[in-house]
Amino acid sequence: MLKFYQNLSVITATFLVVMAALLMPAAAQKKGGTMVMIVQPEPPTLASYLSTSGPIGQVAAKVYDGLLEYDMDMQPQPSLAESWNLAADGKTLTFKLRKGVIFHDGKPLTSADVQFSIMKVAKVTHPRGPNTFRSVTAVETPDPYTVILKLDQAAPYMMMAFSGYETPILPKHIFANGDLRAHPNANKPIGSGPFKFTEWKKGAYIRLDKNENYWKKGQPYLDRIVARFISDPSTRTAALEKGEAHFAAMGAVPFNDAKRLSASKNVTITTRGHELISPVAELLLNTRRAPLNNVSVRKAIAYAIDRKFVIDNIWFGYGKPATGPMSSNFAPSGLYTDKVTQYQVSDGIARANKLLDEAGFKKKADGFRFELMHDSLPYGQEWTRFGEYIAQALGKIGIKVNIRQEDVARWLKRTYTDNDFDTTANYLYNLSDPVVGVHRAISAKAIKKGRVFSNGSGWSNKRVDELFDKATVEPDLAKRGEYYAEALKIAADNIPIIWTHEMNFPTAINKKFKDVIVSPLGVYSNFDRVYTE
Amino acid sequence: MQSGRLLKYIAIRLLQAVPVIFGVIVLCFLMLQLAPGDLATVLAGESGGASEAYIAELQARYGLDKPVLVQLGYYIKNIMMFDLGFSFRHSANISELLAERMLATLLLMGSTLVLSLGLGVLAGLLASLWVGTWKDHVISIVAIIAYATPLFWVGLMLILAFSIKLDWFPTSGMEDVVQFYEGWDRVVDIARHLVLPAITLSLFYLALYARLMRATMLEQRGLDYVTTARAKGLNERQITVRHVLRNALLPVVTMAGVQIGGLLGGSVVVESVFAWPGIGQLAFEALFSRDYNLLLGIFLISAILVVVINLIVDVIYVLLDPRIRVGS
Repeated sequence: MLKFYQNLSVITATFLVVMAALLMPAAAQKKGGTMVMIVQPEPPTLASYLSTSGPIGQVAAKVYDGLLEYDMDMQPQPSLAESWNLAADGKTLTFKLRKGVIFHDGKPLTSADVQFSIMKVAKVTHPRGPNTFRSVTAVETPDPYTVILKLDQAAPYMMMAFSGYETPILPKHIFANGDLRAHPNANKPIGSGPFKFTEWKKGAYIRLDKNENYWKKGQPYLDRIVARFISDPSTRTAALEKGEAHFAAMGAVPFNDAKRLSASKNVTITTRGHELISPVAELLLNTRRAPLNNVSVRKAIAYAIDRKFVIDNIWFGYGKPATGPMSSNFAPSGLYTDKVTQYQVSDGIARANKLLDEAGFKKKADGFRFELMHDSLPYGQEWTRFGEYIAQALGKIGIKVNIRQEDVARWLKRTYTDNDFDTTANYLYNLSDPVVGVHRAISAKAIKKGRVFSNGSGWSNKRVDELFDKATVEPDLAKRGEYYAEALKIAADNIPIIWTHEMNFPTAINKKFKDVIVSPLGVYSNFDRVYTE
Repeated sequence: MQSGRLLKYIAIRLLQAVPVIFGVIVLCFLMLQLAPGDLATVLAGESGGASEAYIAELQARYGLDKPVLVQLGYYIKNIMMFDLGFSFRHSANISELLAERMLATLLLMGSTLVLSLGLGVLAGLLASLWVGTWKDHVISIVAIIAYATPLFWVGLMLILAFSIKLDWFPTSGMEDVVQFYEGWDRVVDIARHLVLPAITLSLFYLALYARLMRATMLEQRGLDYVTTARAKGLNERQITVRHVLRNALLPVVTMAGVQIGGLLGGSVVVESVFAWPGIGQLAFEALFSRDYNLLLGIFLISAILVVVINLIVDVIYVLLDPRIRVGS
């Protein structure tokens, strides 16, 4: 009998050990692995506090933490800040910092680092920061774990700008020494994020290794992330198909190969993870010049363009018709409206011809009313085809369009410094809030020579500027929505820019990797939850 | 006696190279000034928008607000002190950037040179020995096809066939970034990555050398000295190896020396297709981002490379053909 019990206990023990053995790897399975991501083009530096250039942020966001993270519902979540409180008047914002966070060099992260990162870095050297944080007059640090932002007026849009991508928290003891604009650590970032910088072999790869001391216990799951640079689009597709690379986003996946990749057994394609970026494609008209200073001409052009055709045939279905400068990603927050003049109509060509006839631009003997020069946007072959489509579509309403193709430097100068163009194309990111991403397209303040990606059309409207100013300081979302509804209506009626579509970028992910896109920042998030099966 | 003259000759040639390289720098510098747009606007553009104060600050920081001649003066002064300057876009010293990338390019160029010269000379030699037969025709047709096919297309097809379908070689890059091999394993790994780009870049030159070799071999075989050699009682094998081959090699070597510049150009395409981290890609990026300091550094290095290789070719002449005298 005793023997039986002994046996039973042995069997039970064995059973438990086996069960434990079976369960253990299931829990531990998440750990380990290397993810190779394609970053295109190679970032010039890793100084995300100096430049918002896409490739920089895609890598640096894994190294630098922010005060907050954002979930898929656009709600702020704790990160370096455990909690936060915005005073009723919107002029005092208090963050409580997490204790025990250390930078990759072993030094602790305190409120002094946050103060430095906002007042000396974001407000000074960041391209968008001076605008985002313009209302911040002081950052107080009563103790090492409390940060108080003092504002001279409410800035509700600021709450969305505390990600590690937009406002990285830098170690003061390193970056306060020397010239921030030419700092030796620009290419050797030291942050507090889930991955630490190991090596950058120029032209080949950047290697990031797991931060063993990351403040989220047990995370990140991956051992390593390697960013690779492959300039040829077909080779990128081949590397993804073969499983040599596991992830590619933001234009690194060629639109024309997205379908082929999604059919491959290794890869899935998603379009999520752009909710805080929201690029809107546009045909930019130079309203300083005749005949584009004539609103009837602009409307006629807007009617002549078939947005659906553009999306389906040039961007292979990745997009959604736009109604104005604001992306419908702002619909959940109530800031977006589509109750504006619609130019995507079935009889567009007839309407356009009528408008042009009435405006006095009769067709001449050669069938054309006038000529325009279109400068193709030098950001990839889609934009060349877009230019060709514009020439074709406008040809149907008697406007002859010639196409010019130049490189990025020349195009930037022509468009934003010399204003020497008729029409060109572009796409502006809406980013975290219309104040950051939408105002710059049509406000009078944004008409400045040499300021790139600003108001290129030269058009502005007093009422729109007034409404934008009000929406900037208004904390109540419903009221902000009303201001934007009116401003967007005026913009659509005057149509200085023809907003064609909201761009969706295909993101390619190897099926072995899970929980990759879990943030509205997508590729610009820190990947601390990514794991392999 | 010959070696002493050879050394003197090399020294004179190196001295002559100084004004050549100086001319290259000045010419390139002035020509770059003609391109519109500058580094500051491109940097600002990459940032997705920036204030004009920011752009003005960048321009002042990079000295772009100074007159062109002043900028040129500074540059030449720095070059004299072996200081190639700083790439603001990369936040790195240009000499460091170049050293890192030059190795990759030299590896690709070196293996291409060996592969294309070796196989090209062999193919041309065989074709000339088999002249008029079907084997000669096959070699000639293959050479013409290789000569006429664009490099990038060859590269992509090789990736498709040998990487995706057969899984023999990696698609791109210079080493495996999941394993990060070390020691001998790393050498083997890099060699595996080198195969497809080297073949792609070689094909064009291989075809060129094969056709040239075949033609000169046939030409040489008809000359009087061959008849003399035959009359002397040498067999065909001795005639080919000891006499005809050496003479026929001269034009091929000349061609190879001249083609070095072209090889650098061709490597831009191949480096881009195979994501090979060489100097060609760097030049391409530097041009489009108006990173003139970096671009000038690349021009300088390329000029030096071409001068040195042509010197080597001239020395090889002497070794191949003792009748050619140096320094006289």
